[in-house]
Formats: sequence, C-alpha cells, structure tokens
Amino acid sequence: MSGRRHKISLAALSLFVTAAVWAAPPDMACVYNGVYTPLFRSLTDPTNVPVKNFRLDVTPATNAKFLEFVRANPRWQRSQVKRIFADENYLKHWAGDLDPGTNALPDQPVVWVSWFAAKAYAQWQGKRLPTVAEWEAAAAASPAFADGTKDVAFQRDIFRWYSTAAPAVLPGVGSGPANFWGIHDLHGLVWEWVADFNTATVTGDARGDTGLDRQLFCGAGAVGAKDVENFPAFMRYGFRSSLKAAYTVHNLGFRCAKDL
Amino acid sequence: MTMKLPWLILALTTATTWAATNETAEVLPPCCRPIAAQTNYTDKSLFQLESIWTSDAGRQVKLGVFRGRPQVVAMFFASCQFTCPLTVSDMKRIEAALPENLRTNTDFLLVSFDSRRDTPAALKAYRADRGLSPKNWTLLHGEADDVRELAALLGVIYRPDANGNFAHSNVITVLNAEGEIIYQQTGLNLPTDDIVAKLKSPAMP
Repeated sequence: MSGRRHKISLAALSLFVTAAVWAAPPDMACVYNGVYTPLFRSLTDPTNVPVKNFRLDVTPATNAKFLEFVRANPRWQRSQVKRIFADENYLKHWAGDLDPGTNALPDQPVVWVSWFAAKAYAQWQGKRLPTVAEWEAAAAASPAFADGTKDVAFQRDIFRWYSTAAPAVLPGVGSGPANFWGIHDLHGLVWEWVADFNTATVTGDARGDTGLDRQLFCGAGAVGAKDVENFPAFMRYGFRSSLKAAYTVHNLGFRCAKDL
Repeated sequence: MTMKLPWLILALTTATTWAATNETAEVLPPCCRPIAAQTNYTDKSLFQLESIWTSDAGRQVKLGVFRGRPQVVAMFFASCQFTCPLTVSDMKRIEAALPENLRTNTDFLLVSFDSRRDTPAALKAYRADRGLSPKNWTLLHGEADDVRELAALLGVIYRPDANGNFAHSNVITVLNAEGEIIYQQTGLNLPTDDIVAKLKSPAMP
C-alpha cells in the first residue's frame, strides 16, 4: 500500500513539474499570424503563405546543450557518428567526444553540425526543426515590428551582417537584440538549418546552372523569382540550396521549433 | 474478499509498471535509440535508416529488408504527369538491358513523395498500370518526415506546390547490396549504359 501511495505522490510531482514547464517555457517564444513570401514559387502557388502559429527557441542551440545531447545519445558523439549522417568535420572544433574545450564555449551556438544531428537533437528535446516558412516568418520581425520588411534600420543591419565575414570567435547566443517576438540571433550570429532545406530548386553549382532545367526538375519551368530585391533572402536561399544533409559548416547551427 | 484486494492492487500496479516500461521502449524516437539496437551496417549504408515504410502490398518494412541485393532507386509520385513516368520508363529500360542473371538479382525501388495521396492502394494501382513485376519492383509509401530524410540522403530536392503536386529533381540512384550509394544519374532519357555497367561491375556483390 505504501508503494502505491509513493507512486501517487510521484505522479503528482511529475504532473506538477510538467505543468510548471508547460506553463512557462522560458526558452521558446510564440510567433503569431506569420506570413511567408516564398522567393520562388510556381505560377499556381499563392504569393503569401500563411504560417500556422508556432513556438521557436529564442536562441540557437548552444555547445552546452549539445553536450547534454551527445552525453545522453552516444551515437551522436564525434567518434561514434555514422558518416552518412555527418561529414568528417562534424564537431571538429570540440576538444573531444564529451569535451567542447576552449574553442567551443558553453554559451556559443553549436556549429559544425549536420542536418541529421540537428534533427535528432530537436527530436530528443521533444521538438522539431522549423520549416523554411516558419523560420522566414519569425526572421521577418524587426525589434519593433512583427513585419520588419519596411523597417529601414533593421534591413540595413541585416545587410551589414550579410556583407561581413563571420568573426573568428562567435559571440554567445542571445547577445543580439530581441525581435518583436522576443527571439534573438535570427540574423547576425550563424546560419541555421531548417527542416525542409532541400526544397530549393537550384542545383549545387548555381553559376553553371540556374536549375531551371526541365531535364533535371519536374515543374521547374513554372518557377520564378518573386521578390528580386530581397537580397538577404536570396543569400539564404542560395546558401540552403548549396547544402547537403550531412554537411557541417563553421557558421551553421540551428534552433528548434514546436507546434503551439 | 478482504484478502483479495491487495492482490488486485499488486496485479494492477505490476500491469501498469509493465505497460509503462514497454511504452517507454516504444516511444523512444529513432534518433535516440542505443547504438546496440542497430544492426551492423556500414557507415555509409542507407539500410541503417530506422524509418518504417509501407509497401504497395501493405507490408511494413525498414530499408534494411533490402540488404543483400543491389537496388535501383528513384523517388516519384503517382499522379505526376510530366517527368515521373519518364523516370519509371528509364528504370524499366535499365531492367531490360540487364543480362538475365543480373536482372533477377536486382531490385527496383520507387519511393513516393506524396504521403497524402499515394496510399498503398494507390501505389498498387500504379504498379498494375505500369506493369511493374512484383518479383523485383517495390513501391513505398512513407510519412512526410521520413520522405524528407530519405530525399536528403539521396540528394533529391523537392517542394510541394499549392495543388498537392511536387516539383522535384530527377535522380536515379544505384545502391550496392550493403545499401551504399555507388552511382547516381541526374536527368531524364539518358543512356542506360553507365548504370548497367555499374550493376555489372565485379565490385557489386
């Protein structure tokens, strides 16, 4: 009988903990009434795609959190990961399997991670990677407005980041200003993986082939650029389309999303 | 009667505990299962994927079931009017160009982008329509997330449009018997020589 009472109190405790976590997710923010304007779309696609309300991590995943993840999931440790899921540079800046070392400080965004690793981390957290539409909807917000596309100062800051080389030492997450939703670092820190990065209909070498080749792409003839003035969006589009899922890059990290 | 109650509680508690333990094992996502649970696939084998697919015969499979035979793989969707029929025709030409002993030993695998419409029944109808032999052709339906992962591994780029169709790259991939990518051909209506030569090469088990 006392065993049963113990079980009940445990259940009550876990219920309490769950409720507390659920009531105040400190690490995520809600994005409401998002709109995504695809850069390329087929003629039948709408110009603006509504994005369902969702939650997004307020900062990218850090080395400290990723260390927790690989500790709990040995198959994602540097020496254990299967080559098909991450290239040979996976976590190359870490000192060891379970030691980020001095080149990967706890609060810096984790980089040199593949799409598969990012996806597995998100799954481990009970989350998922954001879609391109979600990421772009959240990133459209300036510090003052949910739709920052007309915010001149904000657009200028983004341009500045895109035209500057990545610093040798990455700042910690959350060091940039919060946007309208309270989300940090969508611009200005690292590039980020998205769930559907492999939707971009451009081949790897954009210089030699625009990708609008009927032989290679079904339906590509109907795809055309929407907003040719949105240069940063083009850069993100180009960057995403140059990626393969096992790639790891020195300034490419990720953050997680969740349904509301 | 009074003696029976504690036994009932004990039985219930045990059952609950058992169910809970069992459930924990069930819900652990594929990313996070222990290494020991994996079979001994090579580092580059697609057969190590843990996603579960449904064949047009209604059978649930992991890609590992294809181990032991080379695979010619493409992604498609059944209602595709433009390039997918050509991709399937290309695969049939490859099949026809193989010498008898190789043909019976090579599998042809079509995986659908269209998780919503390409149900096992729809795929079965597609098989009949295109006359694909049940001996060595398999058509697979999967969840959207698993389709995205497989596409990422095959380097296939695709995007759903507003009408429920898909813009996609046309790639035929050859896997060896261990599930490793040994050759990929991008495009349509290309000569089958290279793929046939690859399948004939002595390196293919």
